[in-house]
Amino acid sequence: MIRSIMCCCGSGLGSSMLVRMNVEKAVQKLGVSGVSVSHSSLSDATEGAADLFVVGKDLANFVKELPRVVILDNIMDKEELETKLKAEFEKE
Amino acid sequence: MKEIYNMLKRENVRILPRVENWREAIHVAVQPLVDGGFCESRYIDEIIKNTEKLGPYYVLCENLALVHGSSDQGVLKRQMAVTLLREPIKFKEDGYDVRVLVTLAATDPESHMEALQAMSELFSTPENVEKVLNAETADEIYDLFVHAIDE
Repeated sequence: MIRSIMCCCGSGLGSSMLVRMNVEKAVQKLGVSGVSVSHSSLSDATEGAADLFVVGKDLANFVKELPRVVILDNIMDKEELETKLKAEFEKE
Repeated sequence: MKEIYNMLKRENVRILPRVENWREAIHVAVQPLVDGGFCESRYIDEIIKNTEKLGPYYVLCENLALVHGSSDQGVLKRQMAVTLLREPIKFKEDGYDVRVLVTLAATDPESHMEALQAMSELFSTPENVEKVLNAETADEIYDLFVHAIDE
């Protein structure tokens, strides 16, 4: 069950905030409720910190240990994000 | 007044012909914020170090880099800068060609949200991206950013 999503980038301020804004819109569009979305730096991305993590592909190597991660090829692409999030929610 | 007017000062928008490499790109992108007293000069070195360690994770898409480090890496006051390069630069060999460097100095994780929304809005419309890339003056670029949300 995905109740929390953490979007991460190197510093937890810029790219991760942009992704978080897009994730919030995508979650709403998918009609899913009760999910909290946050943005943070990679150092906060530890197992248990969130149910699902979202990162850009540049940082894919740094999140290999995490159980559930969405990797974005293009972090500005809202359609890619929506498709990948939908797939994650459908796994449940 | 809209927050973007506080976050982006006209003098922090510049146009430059070209840079030699990505390190120089970071130098020129952050320098206006050093000059204005919004960050210490070490913010430049810290961003370069972050990039060496993690890669250019702040290159968002074709043409656009959101150059930034962490708040504790030398940020003094919240501010943004925009540098347009006439010639593109790559931050890694197989990466995007970048011509717009948006530099962010953030003091906390939340309060620059409106400014980033403006940037995101501007770059989600191809015609607006073209306008930024083809701008003849820094004034034009400044206007596109500050009016990105209300248009």
